[in-house]
Amino acid sequence: MSELVSTIQKVLAETGLVLGWSATGAGGVAAPERFHTAEEAEVAIFDSTCVHNLSVHLPRLKGRAVGIVAKACDARSIVELIAEREVDGDQVRVIEVSCTDTLDVKAIWRRYGYGALIEDDGSELRVNGEPVEREAFVQAKCLDCEDRQPATPAGKPVPSGSKPANARQQLREDFQAMSVGERRAFWREQYARCIRCHACREACPMCYCRDVCIMQTTDPHWTGGGINTAEAEMMQLIRVNHLAGRCTACGECERACPVGIPLMLLMEEQNRAIEEMFDYRAGVDPEAKPPLLTFDIKGDSWDGE
Amino acid sequence: MAGTARMKQPGDLRVIRLPCTGRVNPLLILKAFMEGADGVLVSGCHPGDCHYNVGNYHARRRLELLQRMLPAFGIDPGRFHYTWVSASEGSRWAGVVSDFTRRIEALGKIGAEVPANALAKAEQTAMTDATGKTTS
Ligand code: SF4
Ligand code: SF4
Ligand code: SF4
Repeated sequence: MSELVSTIQKVLAETGLVLGWSATGAGGVAAPERFHTAEEAEVAIFDSTCVHNLSVHLPRLKGRAVGIVAKACDARSIVELIAEREVDGDQVRVIEVSCTDTLDVKAIWRRYGYGALIEDDGSELRVNGEPVEREAFVQAKCLDCEDRQPATPAGKPVPSGSKPANARQQLREDFQAMSVGERRAFWREQYARCIRCHACREACPMCYCRDVCIMQTTDPHWTGGGINTAEAEMMQLIRVNHLAGRCTACGECERACPVGIPLMLLMEEQNRAIEEMFDYRAGVDPEAKPPLLTFDIKGDSWDGE
Repeated sequence: MAGTARMKQPGDLRVIRLPCTGRVNPLLILKAFMEGADGVLVSGCHPGDCHYNVGNYHARRRLELLQRMLPAFGIDPGRFHYTWVSASEGSRWAGVVSDFTRRIEALGKIGAEVPANALAKAEQTAMTDATGKTTS
């Protein structure tokens, strides 16, 4: 029995519920799982296909004890949820797993076909039995992650000046190089593909407003349910605005998007602005005051005051 | 004040009165841009002078963040300006609005900055992303 399974079983004895993963997704990749008994927990796994941020389920479980298996990035969401009083810190038992990286499973399947067999021993990644270049299929957030445990002790330094092997990183660079007008065109082209499934919102641990989300209010009518570029653009502006100072850069919005809209370009940009302005990062300190819920009379002297 | 002193105001300026800059949800500004406004100016009472004590302290954080985010959304940051003008500063107000309208006139209609060939280029980027191909 793996160490993870026995840890989950121990936590289960106290909480009666643990959120984790089993290898029951398509092609044997991880799928989210709710374990209630020691027996159920026997199938628990953690590997590089455990991409989901399970903390998205916590607000709806508020009021009961719950265990949760979490990567370092997921743990930041839990901290932020505790800071926002959406989760009661005393009720949550976090089982933190250390990870090398997680995979962009969709990118692999786009290339090798849906359900292609993914095998990963932590250093060598194989798809349908063939070794493939790992860095190309790692989630972009992992390549920047400070908590990433390197697969090889020395890591693999990327020579400076070379093009990123990862398509998503390349897109980030391309976006930075665009003029402001090119960016508007870029977004409109992206949003034209939006099917208004709202998966970006549903997958986000910090989007917990549920039935009172302003994306579905009719008075005031911020945006309708129409499937068109203009409404999709407004929807994303709402999302970005409502996540100001709260987004922990977990990457779930973009990962959940079925049409591959690179939503993280905006979240990253905003997180960077907030870090510059307030020296603040969400999901670090459960006692911190969110920068947009407070102010500084003497500081913040923008616009010449 | 500017009105009673019969100072000139630009004719294409539409004034929307709100009780306090603390009421200015940044989404109001973004929505205005989405509905076709060529520029948005927010003017409030000076920090320290807020009738509601702290409204403008909250506002300046939000407005500054919006200012910094506009380029990422693809909106020229020159189309937005926030400033503090008190009710007694009539001539300052007249100067602020005429400077701002001049600036917006120079920038032209919203979307004027979008290069004609950019849509086609963006389409290509989107395709590359959707197929997951490395663009080396
Ligand atoms: S961001 Fe870090 S902690 Fe999260 S999956 Fe990637 S490597 Fe693991
Ligand atoms: S906006 Fe995206 S990256 Fe940020 S917390 Fe939500 S899902 Fe995670
Ligand atoms: S997940 Fe993607 S397609 Fe679905 S609503 Fe969000 S942006 Fe649109």
